[in-house]
Amino acid sequence: MLRYAAGRLVQAAIAVLGVLTIVFIVMRFSGDPTLLLVPEGSTQEAVDALRKQLGFDRPVVIQYLDYLQSLGRFDFGISVVQRIPAIDIVASRVPYTVMLALGALAVALFVGLPAGIAMAVWRGGWLERCLSALALTGQSLPTFLSGMLLIIVFGVVLGWLPTSGAGDIRALILPSIALGALSMSTFARMARIAIIDELGKDYVRAARARGLSKAGAVERHVLRNAAIPVVTVAALEIGNLLAGAVIVETVFAWPGIGQLAIQSIQSRDFLVVQVIVLLISIVYVLTSLLADLVYALLDPRIRLAS
Amino acid sequence: MAGLTVEDLSIDIAGASVVDGVSFSVGGGEVMALVGESGCGKSLTAFALLGLLPDAAEVTQGHILLDGLDLASLSERELRRLRGSKLSIIFQEPTASLDPLATIGSQIAEAYRLHHKVSRREALAKARAMLVSVGIPDPDRRLTQYPFELSGGMCQRVMIAIALICGPDILIADEPTTALDVTIQAQILDLMKQLVAERGTGIVLITHDMGVVADIADRVAVMYAGRIAEIGPVDDIFAQPSHPYTALLLASVPRLDVSPKERLATIDGSVPSPERFGPGCRFNERCPLADGRCRIDTPPLLAHRPGHFSACWHADRVSEIARAAA
Repeated sequence: MLRYAAGRLVQAAIAVLGVLTIVFIVMRFSGDPTLLLVPEGSTQEAVDALRKQLGFDRPVVIQYLDYLQSLGRFDFGISVVQRIPAIDIVASRVPYTVMLALGALAVALFVGLPAGIAMAVWRGGWLERCLSALALTGQSLPTFLSGMLLIIVFGVVLGWLPTSGAGDIRALILPSIALGALSMSTFARMARIAIIDELGKDYVRAARARGLSKAGAVERHVLRNAAIPVVTVAALEIGNLLAGAVIVETVFAWPGIGQLAIQSIQSRDFLVVQVIVLLISIVYVLTSLLADLVYALLDPRIRLAS
Repeated sequence: MAGLTVEDLSIDIAGASVVDGVSFSVGGGEVMALVGESGCGKSLTAFALLGLLPDAAEVTQGHILLDGLDLASLSERELRRLRGSKLSIIFQEPTASLDPLATIGSQIAEAYRLHHKVSRREALAKARAMLVSVGIPDPDRRLTQYPFELSGGMCQRVMIAIALICGPDILIADEPTTALDVTIQAQILDLMKQLVAERGTGIVLITHDMGVVADIADRVAVMYAGRIAEIGPVDDIFAQPSHPYTALLLASVPRLDVSPKERLATIDGSVPSPERFGPGCRFNERCPLADGRCRIDTPPLLAHRPGHFSACWHADRVSEIARAAA
């Protein structure tokens, strides 16, 4: 188990290094960043001076090592727009996105998983048909559309919930549903398939032959076995929720990193964008690492084989 | 009466009659073999005994009596109380029949705790004793292991431990040795023989292997296309088969006293699919003795010798087949 965990940790570290490198390449090779920073109409001398001051005139390899070194010191540079450290700008927005992502994850897990389990256990019945319609809707509606529909119905027509902003906790409900809908459908579909697959296996029949009811067999044996593929998807979904937050936060004027990303791109605040991209990528890597560790806890074949 | 009695059991799948009028009984300490080709309905019969038929299959007539109690009259809850306690089953694929994520100990203990109000610790002690009695060495370590750490033969011993932990009256063994190596097969069959002798458990042994039948069965029912072709004491049926299918099956078993250059006897044709079952004897298309009557009238199971029944209009001529094949 320890060796397995250590191996996964090393893999995760390599993935993070890969992410840092790709972000560096994209940022430096998509054009000279100096031109983004100078006021329009500056002289060539002023541009050259700034380029030298920022170190962009040095060889790329030196710049790369310098970049890694500053990241190692948690130095992500100063925002060229707000003139404060980029990391501070992003950090002030992170709690909102974490709240939204957790809200959406709660919607996805607490609606998606029970729906998937119900669809598998009562396969072929009316309940499955209703729930699969729900899952299909969640999957097909683009977030910007479902977000606006939710605002119109619950915010404007019914007036039950705030339409935007992050004033009170009720404001979290609509964006969480909009953001969680796609993941909810994914969880429901994955759980359904995984459970149907497990229900057909010999050990379920054997468990029932020992006197377990179908529900008992599902509870004691099937759910744990079916959890393995669902954990894989869950890990990817957490990353997707952060990425999806970009649109939902814009629709609901939610002050998280998604909204910040859009604003920073529009104002060419490239160091802030870089921090956000790094953050989302690292969350992807870490959730995959977490999923690998959860596999080992669930499945003795992984835990004991390594 | 004590033991299991199946009377006139019929099972349909999507309107096709896959098991038709099957009757047999098995008493305590007796081994009753159901033998036949794949798809002849023997496994479906076994699942019907437990009330665990797949959703598509349906019992259309007949009774299953366990110690005189009609299982069809029981609720699902009452059936659950019987499953694993009075009536147990072991399967063809022992490794797949165990939950890969649960320890051996927890799975054996679960079988006990489902039918007895005991603590987990007591159930594990019972499970340990059961592992010893099915001949698994180092039981303390095995209890904490997972199915993937055990061989197929070991897993089948664990399945037998699960099946017998509540001391059932009847054990259904669905091809228990088919997936195992030949040497392991012999060990598992010996274990089953020993358990029958010690505990007086009746066994319904489902197999396609005449060698296994000869080894441990007392009586045998030969099934063909969902019907019993012939039923009776093993020795009698092996010595004097009274149904052409049985005679041809026995002739197709490889023998040590025949030159290996000799071609193995086969039965021409294949089992018709249930949608194509016509009137008359279902074996008529492949039967060397078949005549017009066999294609129209279904032969009833009739006694030819005491306790030995066969369903053939030409039972008196079956010895011709046996002679021709020899």
